[in-house]
Amino acid sequence: MSGIVNVRDLAVGTRVVLGSGAEVEIVANPGDGVWVFGRYLAFGDEPGMVGTEEMIFAQDVVEVRG
Amino acid sequence: MNETRGYHSGLVDNTTGLISREIFVNDDIYAQEQERVFARSWLFVGHESQIPNNGDFFASRMGEESVILCRDRAGAVHVFLNSCRHRGMKVCRYDDGNTTVFTCPYHGWSYGTDGALVGVPFFREAYHSELDRTKYGLVEVAQLCCYKGTVWACWDASAPPLLEYLGEFRRFLDLILDGWDGREGQAEVLGGVQKWIIPCNWKFPAENFAGDTYHNISHRSVDLVGAGPSGRSRRDYGELSAARRLHVAIPDRGHQTITYVLPKDHQPRAAYQNSPEVAEYFRHCEEERRRRPGINSRLIGAPGEIFPNVALLPRQPRTLAVWHPVSAHRTEVWRFFFVDRDAPQAVKNFLRDYYIRYSGPAGMTEQDDMENWNYAHSASRGVIARRYPYTYEMGLGHAVEGWEWDGLRMPGRVVELTKTMASEEPMRNLYRRWAEFMEADSWDELATWRRDGAAAAKAAE
Repeated sequence: MSGIVNVRDLAVGTRVVLGSGAEVEIVANPGDGVWVFGRYLAFGDEPGMVGTEEMIFAQDVVEVRG
Repeated sequence: MNETRGYHSGLVDNTTGLISREIFVNDDIYAQEQERVFARSWLFVGHESQIPNNGDFFASRMGEESVILCRDRAGAVHVFLNSCRHRGMKVCRYDDGNTTVFTCPYHGWSYGTDGALVGVPFFREAYHSELDRTKYGLVEVAQLCCYKGTVWACWDASAPPLLEYLGEFRRFLDLILDGWDGREGQAEVLGGVQKWIIPCNWKFPAENFAGDTYHNISHRSVDLVGAGPSGRSRRDYGELSAARRLHVAIPDRGHQTITYVLPKDHQPRAAYQNSPEVAEYFRHCEEERRRRPGINSRLIGAPGEIFPNVALLPRQPRTLAVWHPVSAHRTEVWRFFFVDRDAPQAVKNFLRDYYIRYSGPAGMTEQDDMENWNYAHSASRGVIARRYPYTYEMGLGHAVEGWEWDGLRMPGRVVELTKTMASEEPMRNLYRRWAEFMEADSWDELATWRRDGAAAAKAAE
């Protein structure tokens, strides 16, 4: 395995970690392999971002927490 | 020496009926008409029945360019240029489907179904959050109009609205879009869209569908085979013996068609006898149609052409074709087939079999036509052939205005084919309008009816 996360496989509710260290819960997945929609569970030194939703780029996803 | 490099006046001469072959085979003229004709005209993009749900999309074309017809998450219909604002890659490479976003596979820019740029990779890191994403949504057409389910679009904001662009020709389009029983806007697209490429200029099929009744000898073999729904001839047109056959050309719009006019109080004839269920459906519809007010209850649709590249075939088969230009020498044909959306499934199945037997790349009649267009084009490309214009002199000067029969008045210029059999009035009308587009610099010049209307109003004061 390459260790690279295939974002097409990420189901709604899955928690992932981004390269920045932020933790995100997947809320929608268009299945294009490039983007997923996520809600921040943790966002480093910007706690105001927690709870906001944003499109997450595939290359930013570095780990699946389950 | 033939030194033609691009369009110039005189290539289309409607006083003599002579039209230069250059307008079909010249690459410079082809490049000019993309800007002057296709970028300024209303073009058919698709049908709302192809995108019934929010997020549905259908990849279509306008001229040479790929566009996306889609219904956004709020239900609004859009038409976008299918090209990423970053480096131009197609953001949609499927024929149709449902999506939440259109994502460019090149660098990953992503657009919502409303066209907004919603995803830019490394927006914070690489762009330092400085890129104004609101400036880089998908390019949307200047004008869009949904008419009885059909979706039309135009890149020119100064063009008149679609219904004004169609003018009085709208009634002939209605013959496809309204139900067979005359109820408004009952058509739906049957199955997928047939697409194929033919090696000829787009104007060959356009002029053929403008109303070429002279080429019927080409289809003699189909007549002999009996491809029609009842196994006789090409179509079930029993009522035509009572009808008067016309060419109708709308000069200031460039639209034209063949049509048949029934006498008042005409009773429907039996048709589709090979299938009792289908025969009963159409018998009922024909009776209902005759009960409705308006002149369309007495019109039978036949091949026609909406300027520049949309062909009508309102009755049998009931289709719209779009002649998408690919180059001066290649055309991509898209044929959409229609049925009444609430027709019984057995009727839809019956018609589908007939439609594809008749039209499309495997259709017997369309194959005859393609053979003519392909070889006419290739035999007109040589330097010697180009010296000799085509003649469109048939019936020159014999069209009339104000044609009327039994209380039904027809718009535009009319040639009665019941006796003359054929004329080239529709082709002259098509190329007259084409030349006007090639020469006019703005819609102020092209919308002559506005100028004439204003002058008439001033004179009346």
